[in-house]
Parts: sequence; C-alpha cells; structure tokens
Amino acid sequence: MLETVFFYLFGGLAVLAGMGVVLAHNTMHSVMFLIFCFFNAAGLFFLLDAEFIGIILILIYVGAVMVLFMFVIMMLDVNRAKLREGFLQYLPMGGIIAVILLVELIASASSGVFVSDEMVQAVHLGQEVNNTVEIGKELYTKYLLGFEVAAIILLVALVGAIVLTLRERKDAKYQNISAQVNTRKEDRLRKVKM
Amino acid sequence: MGASYLANEYAPIFVFILIALGMGAAPLVLTMLVAEQNPDDEKLSAYECGFEAFEDARMPFDVRFYLVAILFVIFDLETAFLFPWAVVLDQIGIFGFIEMMLFLVILLVGYIYAWKKGALQWE
Amino acid sequence: MSWLDVAMQGGIWALEILAIAVPIALSVAYITYAERRVIGWMQIRKGCNRVGPAGLLQPIADGLKLFLKETIIPTTANKYLFVAAPVMALVPALVAFAVVPFGETTLFGFWEETHVMAIANLNVGVLYVMAISSLAIYGILMAGWASNSKYALIGALRATGQMISYEIAMGFSIVCVLIMAGSMNLSAIVHAQAGEYGFLNWYIIPLFPMFVVFFISGCAETNRSPFDLPEGEAELVAGFFVEYSGMWFATFSLAEYAAMILISLMTAIMFLGGWYAPLPADFPVVGAFFDAIPGTVWLLGKTSFLIFVFIWFRATFPRFRYDQLMRLGWKVFLPWTLSWIAVIGMATYAGDISSNLTWISDVIGFWQPWR
Repeated sequence: MLETVFFYLFGGLAVLAGMGVVLAHNTMHSVMFLIFCFFNAAGLFFLLDAEFIGIILILIYVGAVMVLFMFVIMMLDVNRAKLREGFLQYLPMGGIIAVILLVELIASASSGVFVSDEMVQAVHLGQEVNNTVEIGKELYTKYLLGFEVAAIILLVALVGAIVLTLRERKDAKYQNISAQVNTRKEDRLRKVKM
Repeated sequence: MGASYLANEYAPIFVFILIALGMGAAPLVLTMLVAEQNPDDEKLSAYECGFEAFEDARMPFDVRFYLVAILFVIFDLETAFLFPWAVVLDQIGIFGFIEMMLFLVILLVGYIYAWKKGALQWE
Repeated sequence: MSWLDVAMQGGIWALEILAIAVPIALSVAYITYAERRVIGWMQIRKGCNRVGPAGLLQPIADGLKLFLKETIIPTTANKYLFVAAPVMALVPALVAFAVVPFGETTLFGFWEETHVMAIANLNVGVLYVMAISSLAIYGILMAGWASNSKYALIGALRATGQMISYEIAMGFSIVCVLIMAGSMNLSAIVHAQAGEYGFLNWYIIPLFPMFVVFFISGCAETNRSPFDLPEGEAELVAGFFVEYSGMWFATFSLAEYAAMILISLMTAIMFLGGWYAPLPADFPVVGAFFDAIPGTVWLLGKTSFLIFVFIWFRATFPRFRYDQLMRLGWKVFLPWTLSWIAVIGMATYAGDISSNLTWISDVIGFWQPWR
C-alpha cells in the first residue's frame, strides 16, 4: 500500500519535473528540474530493489554529468528571441515526431501486456540478496567483452574531448615542481675561490 | 533486499530529507521575520570594488573548466565500475582481477595521452 | 500496517533523525569556537575569551548576531536560485549522515542482539555518502551563478573544479578499502577491522597512503585551508557567498563544517577502526579500561582528533595556487591511488599466481576477513 503511494509520488514528481525541464523559461531552472527528475527516477529504482543502479544514477548523472551540463549552460548566452524565430519552420517535423510517439505510447499501453497480473506487482528479492554483489558477480565473470568495450568507449570519449577542447596557450609559463624539488645544492651554489 | 529492507532503511532517508529541508529553510524564514529589514538601492546592488556594477557578471570562462568536467565524468564512471568489482573480488577469482586490470590499462592509455597533451596542466 | 502505525514509525524516525541532526548543528557552533581557540593557541595569542567563561558563549553570541542581521537579496540576482542555494547546500551535508554508524548498542541489554546505531544501515553506504556529498557542488554553483557577481561566479567555478578533481582520488582510495573489507556497508567495514591485535587490524596500516590521500582530498572537498581558494579573501573577498548576509551566509558555513565532520567520521570509520579501541581487551594494564569505554566515545574521540588536524592544517599551511592544486589532484593523487588498487589486488591474488608468493597473500590476508 505504502509502496504504491511512493510509486505514484516519485512517478508523478518525475513527470512534473520533466515538464518543468521543457517549459521553464530560464535554462538554469531547466537544469534544476532535470536534477530533480533524476532524483525521482532514483527513487523508482529503489522501489524496484535496484539500489546500486539508483545510487549510481545519483552519483554519475546528478553528481557528474549535470555539473558538465551546468558549465555548458552557464557559458551559453541563450537568446530567446532568436530561438523562437525558427519555431514555425520546425513545427511540422516536431509535430510529426510527437504524434508518432503518442500513437506508440497508446498502442503499447493498450496492448494488454501491462494489465496481466504478474506485471502489476513486482516480486521483491529475498532478504539475503545483495544487489551490488549480484551485479558484480555477473558483470565480471560473464560479460568480459561488453566490459572491455566500455573501457574502449571511455577511452574514445577521453581522447575526443581533449582533441576538441584543448587549445594550448603558447605564452603560458609552467612551474615544474618535480624539478624544483629535485634540485641539489650543487645546481644552485657555486664555490668561488677568493 | 526485500520489502522490509526498503521500509526500514530507505524510508528513514526520505524522512531525513524532509527534516533537513525544514532545518535548512526554517532559520532563513525566521531571520527574515525577526530581523529588521531596511533595504535601499545601494545595499541591494551587486558587490563591486568602489564602482557601480556595470555589466552582467555572467561572463564566459576558461574552456579548461569543461575539460576538467569531462575528464571527471569519465573517471567517475571508472570508479562506478570499480566499486562492485572491489566488493566481489573474492568471488570472481583471478579471472575477474585480470579483467579489471585490462580495463584499467586501457584507460591508463587515455590518461597518459591526456598528460602528454597537457590537458592536466593548468595555466 | 495501518496509517496509525505508519505515523508512529515516522515519528520515531523523526526523533532519531533529530537526535543526530541537532547535535551536528550544535557541534558546528562549537567547532568554530575550538577553531578560534586552537589557532589562537598555535599563534601564541588568546583567541575569543570574553563572552562567558573562557569565551564559551561566543558561538551563541555569534549565532544570535547573525540571526538578527538583515537579509539582503541583490536586485540583479536570480531570486529563485538565490533563495534555494543555501538550502541546497545544507540538505546534502545533513542527509549524508543518515548512513553513518555511530556505534553498536544492545540498549543496555534491552535487545537480544547488538544493533548498529545508524538511521539507515544501507548495503551501499559508502556509495551513498559519496553520491550525496557530491551534491554539495550544486549549492555552491547555484549561489555563485544566481548572485550575478563576478567574485561569486569565479569562486563557484574554482570550488567546482577543485571538488570534482579531488572526488576521483577520493573514490579510488575508497575502492582500496572496499577490496580489503569486501563490503560497501559502513558497519561491515568497521566489523572487518575488528581483531585481537587492536589498532594493528585497522586499515590505516596496510592502506596508509590511501588514508593520507583520502584525508587531504576531504580537505579539498570541503574547501578547507590550504585548499580554500574558492573563498580566497584576498582576491575574491569571500568567494561564492559574497552576496549572502546574516543567517543565509551562516547556512553555508554550517554546511561546510558539517561536511568537515562527515569527512572526519568517514576517515575514522574506514581507516581508524570505527568504534573499536586501539588496544585489545586483554592488553596488560590499560586493555580492560579501554574496553570499558563505549564504542561511540571512541568513534567520536577519533573524529574530534581528525577535526583538530583539520584546524591544525589551517594554522600550518599556506594556501595553494590553483595550478598546484590541480597538479596535486590529477598528477599525484590519481596515479598513486590507481597503482595502489593494482598493488592491493595483486597482493590478494599473489598466492594464485605463484606458490612462491603465497606469503604476500598471507600478509594481506591478515586484514581481509573474507579470505
């Protein structure tokens, strides 16, 4: 009973926050709504016993990805009048996508899959099952290829980010701390015979 | 896990968030009610050293902050993979250990690249 | 379960939560006092000693003064975010304490088995603390951006850059602890450090470099001196909260000091054996005496010592320059922690690689209760 209440609370707030992201006039407010939306999604994961995924959602998306988003948005000078110019031009395309999505959602909702009894109430795992341990045991024994491919993707992202954003400044002076620390007295001191 | 775990461990956190919101907001509201409010134009203008604040302070900043943020996202993902690995290291055996070392070596290549390119050098 | 039961249970939790949150707020007040007295003592001067006996009422006087100050919301600021920022800074700082185990108790024999004194004894406790404390960035970024002041914006950017840089080193050093303990549950990590050899069983012994990295990163995470560039009063006047006044400003300080307590508690739990005494109970002379002291007192004692070290840092070290700070985080701590993960992992499986190396696994196995 209480679980259902929380499900509707998190689900409802997530939908409202999602609408806030789209409708907010200030882009900074949109980011805040998106963060709130992620929190509610994490809450839904907790209700599904997926505590590791829920916490990782907060740690990675809210704690890391949204910081990057915020940096980008803080730097962007959003001109609303300019954004509105192309509104009518893009309306047909956007409208078609929205209608297709709506039809798909209605079709899947009325397909009968979601009304069968076993779908209505998910069964909780046993008390002794530790979500993180189960994920670890599966991920690091069976999914070797996927795991290493993830490493390659991260590597590509790293190199790509550096190639795209790094602009070296020629006039900057650097301090070489290890050279300073490793200086011997002979490098600095010269004995002069008087 | 299970329903009782959810009720005993996660529900208090929800209550805690509500109480913390109250503890954060209450003093701010109370101080506005209790303390004397006497605003004027000068007091309410943004802080500057001796002259009027003449432009929007939200200026573009160094692109390096983005680079640090992107690197942070990547390495944070790496930690997210390391956490469950560390917990089950005793159960996955030497195979799992070597697998993670391979993962780390691949990312080490990227790290060395970033270092050599000077992406970690702040100027 | 009826609605009445739910309300009753909620009330009990609320009392438990207040029993943790209110002492945190009070101890923050007295840490500011301790900070002034300790730094005064280190600099051969008196510190605050006028208000009440030995200046003990000073924090209360300070709080009252801040409370009665006028609230200033700049006209050019973004109202909503400006108002939300202090709350956003304080809430994660407090909520992170939900998983911290303060000790074990049988409630003077009332319960059959020992219970862990934590609001929520999560299986993912360590991750929870990391995730929630990383949210502190938003309070700072919002304060800096909403103020519409250059000083605040630069302070917020610096704070964010530094917090995200040191979070990685922090995460990697925690991974080392997890390898040793084999669990992310904070009370299980403490239990893994129990043993008949007292402090020799603590993780500070095999993971000493990680202890140093974790504590220094914690210093940087909480924007404490010598990593207090975001506040740099000489250049940025006060950093991200330059436009805040009175109680609103105090809320940011409250969050900062609460984060400092949290880092100290986490260090004590993960590296200094949590609520266990440093000497075993059968140790001659003092062992029995140490054993009689409740675990919570040991934990809080260790935490107090670490807070003292924070203050000591502030009195001792000059402030970093930003490029030096980034170098320490990215070029020193990151490779160091990463290689230590490999070393600990390799030592764990050394016996499986070659039977000549079994002694390495045995040595490291002393701290790995699961082996």
